[in-house]
Amino acid sequence: MNHRRSFLLVSLVLLLAPSLAPSPALATRRPAVLSETGSTLLYPLFNLWAARYTRLDHDVRITTEATGSGTGIAQALAGLVSLGASDAYLSNFLAQKNPGLLNIPLAISSQTINYHLPHLDGRSLRLSGPVLAAIYDGQIRRWDAPAIAALNPGVPLPNHRIVVVHRSDGSGDTFIFTQYLSFTTPGWEQSVGYGTTVNWPAVAGEIGATGNPGMVQALDTTPYAIAYVGVSYARAIRREHLGTARLENRDGRFVSLTPATVEAAARARRAKTPASERLSLVDAPGANAYPIVNYEYVMVRVHQPSARIAQALRRFLTWCLNPRGGSARTFLDAVGFVGLPKSVRQLSRRQIARIR
Amino acid sequence: MRRLTATAAATVPLILAVITGFLVFYAARAIRFNGLAFFTTNGWSIGNQYANPIHVHGILAMPGMHFGIVFLLVGTLASAFLALLFAFALGIGATLFLTEIVPTRLTRPLSTFVELLAAIPSVVYGLWGIVFLAPFLARHVYPLVARLGEAVPFLARPIGAGYGLLTSALILTLMIVPFITAILRDALLAVGPELREAAISLGATRFEVATRVLLRGQGRTLIGAGILALGRALGETMAVLMVSGNALNTLPERIYSPISTMAAFIAAQLDSALGDQTGLAVRSLAEIALVLLAISILTNILSRLLLRTSPPLRV
Amino acid sequence: MSDPSRRTLPRAQIARRRLTAAAGWSLAAAAFGILALAMIHILGLTFVRGLAALGPRILTRNTEGTGGGLHNAIVGTFALSLGALLLVAPLGVTVGIYLSEFGHGRFAALVRFLSDVLVGVPSIVLGYFGYITLVLKFGWRFSLAAGAVTLAILMLPYVVRTTEQALRRVPVALREAAYALGGNDRQVVLRILLRAAAPGVLTGLLLALTLATGETAPLLYTAGWSNYVWSGRLIHQPVAYLTYVIWSFIGEPFRSAHRLAYAAAFLIVIFILLINGVTRFALARFFGESR
Repeated sequence: MNHRRSFLLVSLVLLLAPSLAPSPALATRRPAVLSETGSTLLYPLFNLWAARYTRLDHDVRITTEATGSGTGIAQALAGLVSLGASDAYLSNFLAQKNPGLLNIPLAISSQTINYHLPHLDGRSLRLSGPVLAAIYDGQIRRWDAPAIAALNPGVPLPNHRIVVVHRSDGSGDTFIFTQYLSFTTPGWEQSVGYGTTVNWPAVAGEIGATGNPGMVQALDTTPYAIAYVGVSYARAIRREHLGTARLENRDGRFVSLTPATVEAAARARRAKTPASERLSLVDAPGANAYPIVNYEYVMVRVHQPSARIAQALRRFLTWCLNPRGGSARTFLDAVGFVGLPKSVRQLSRRQIARIR
Repeated sequence: MRRLTATAAATVPLILAVITGFLVFYAARAIRFNGLAFFTTNGWSIGNQYANPIHVHGILAMPGMHFGIVFLLVGTLASAFLALLFAFALGIGATLFLTEIVPTRLTRPLSTFVELLAAIPSVVYGLWGIVFLAPFLARHVYPLVARLGEAVPFLARPIGAGYGLLTSALILTLMIVPFITAILRDALLAVGPELREAAISLGATRFEVATRVLLRGQGRTLIGAGILALGRALGETMAVLMVSGNALNTLPERIYSPISTMAAFIAAQLDSALGDQTGLAVRSLAEIALVLLAISILTNILSRLLLRTSPPLRV
Repeated sequence: MSDPSRRTLPRAQIARRRLTAAAGWSLAAAAFGILALAMIHILGLTFVRGLAALGPRILTRNTEGTGGGLHNAIVGTFALSLGALLLVAPLGVTVGIYLSEFGHGRFAALVRFLSDVLVGVPSIVLGYFGYITLVLKFGWRFSLAAGAVTLAILMLPYVVRTTEQALRRVPVALREAAYALGGNDRQVVLRILLRAAAPGVLTGLLLALTLATGETAPLLYTAGWSNYVWSGRLIHQPVAYLTYVIWSFIGEPFRSAHRLAYAAAFLIVIFILLINGVTRFALARFFGESR
């Protein structure tokens, strides 16, 4: 009986110990807690932001969570979180139904097309929207197909079947990739269209992967595979010695992804960005514009539960946009994003000012 | 006292009724929209969310929206039955070894050790699968299996990254094997020594005693335990989510192919389903949950009929 | 088996049967070996990597993005599972008392059957149910209450059945004596039977607790996640928990995230093993046998 009792005592102490530990945050007055959920692509950046900002502003606490853009939008709509991160903007239908939900761009992301081709010696393939569409709907099945060879004269293309990799979870990366295919290839737009999940045409041997880590891993372990990967994973792509394609843009030029080509795309679209900021940056015009580029959004309700929360949100988001604050190179470079053009930053600030 | 405790007891049926009722109510619109095609067609698509909604049989939907779960049924059944097959082989072998060969003194501690497999949380299995099992199998085991099975299309290359049907089934095997070992061990230990002695005095080897005398009487027990284990394998979520490769709309072509199961699919797709503005996607997930609920009721009825006793809670 | 009336068997047949037996036992031993090896490897990996990752900072600091510590998650896991235990213990034990002491009829058989069914309901179904009802319909948002209630539903059948089993092991003579002394139902159950069965009932509660601490799927969409220590609010405040760290951080491409996942797995597994070991030992003493 004795050992049983002491066991209970010990387990009780074990159970209660962590909650009895002093919590430094409770010592002062309660800070406003901002909760963020959504896009896994924005998640690393939000973590960096939250860690730094809460050190600058002790009246705010920020909690972050990687769930996915769909959850981000849905929970911001339902008022479950204060910040819903999303790689995709609201559809017309949703925007009209919910005029009280702002989508505010905070930064610009982009995407690379990567492949695992042995013996290519790091040479960059040239690919176009229609060729990618044909690969992803199974019309082009081999790496040395005429359509690919025509874009890459002199490149020793392997005589091997292409292994198509796509995301099987809902994803902003799927959204912008299929937008690129839709905008450049009418056939794709009619048969598949674009979205965070789409009904992928059946291609023999295709692989579905979860998250960007899953995409990189599938590429790494599958020779002759092709995949689309968010820019934040560029370092992993380089580490695994995977190839990165130069993509044909609207002007018919083949450009590789650099901060300059992404900024060129953003500049080309800045004048067209409406006050609601719901706009695709995919397939922007300009000789130097990279074609798969997008705004990274945060969904915020205009009407907040309290003035304190609203004020904390305005302060935090304004800081995020500040080139000397959250939009400093040190933050954005860590994830491969670029900052908003000045005029778009102005539009975002205007939307932030509406939060009440 | 009797009335008080009986009232409390009523919460158990009540909770199940509420869950079932809620799922039916919530899924009703999806059930009407999907019809029988839910079970007979393949392809899960939330449609073009950036188009304008349309009305299908009076239900608001997006163009291109379709919910057919054949790939989930195939993935769920294939992984669970494969796991059951492995679990029977390993479970029966290990139990015979533990009850008939190992010194009696060690039988309990060693079986307890193996049965601790059931206490390991599902997410830890997933972690182990990602960090060790999937890469290990893809690098060292599947190439051998593929070479052995060159003539069998289902076993042939390519073997992929180790995330798929076979890896899921193997992890599920470890999770459900304690059901078989625990139930079978108790049944075998309950067999008196007379039967063994009689068979041995007739000239049977110990192995013949084990396989032809002891196991022969356990058909019902084994099937009951198997159905119970099957029920758990069919509903397992986190571990499968982490190692199955999460196929979307594709049917497994070989034993290494990525799959998805119903339970894992709910966890994996809730995010994109929440992005669906018509709500049909989330409601179709409720329909999957309803199917899972029906499966767990069915497997419990069957195992109870066969075992004539309650399943072990913790094995 | 061959015809037992024959005195001697051909040598070849004996050899063949011996060979079959040897091969069969080797396979059986291999089956045990595979299972034991898998168990050892899982524990080994969790312990080696978990202990390497573990340090005082991990226990005392909160999660910062994908780095920092696990203090918030440790507190959250205990708050969630203890909260669930508080909810489920009175109800589950009462139902267990009913089944053991008064449960002879059809209704009791139904309750027993349905609690077995509830054991088999996939945990993601419960999580989904909790999300749509508690989080959305009741407006609790991601919170301790939503997570704990979902976990409590999951634990209920375990508590019910272990309580019933524990009470049934109390000798009938004790009941008869108690009633003979003029005790009524309430006195007999509360003062005599529950006290006698207390170790078994407590064991059941502790096992249900380990079950709750190891769960992920029911919490993903009910408890949410938070980088901060739970401050005591029941609703409208998300709570961190260890299993989330395992599931979510192992997929991140950062070493700091992986370290946290290993440490979290270690903490969960060691807690579960500890409780399992102790309860099995205690149960063996209490009932004179295992389980």
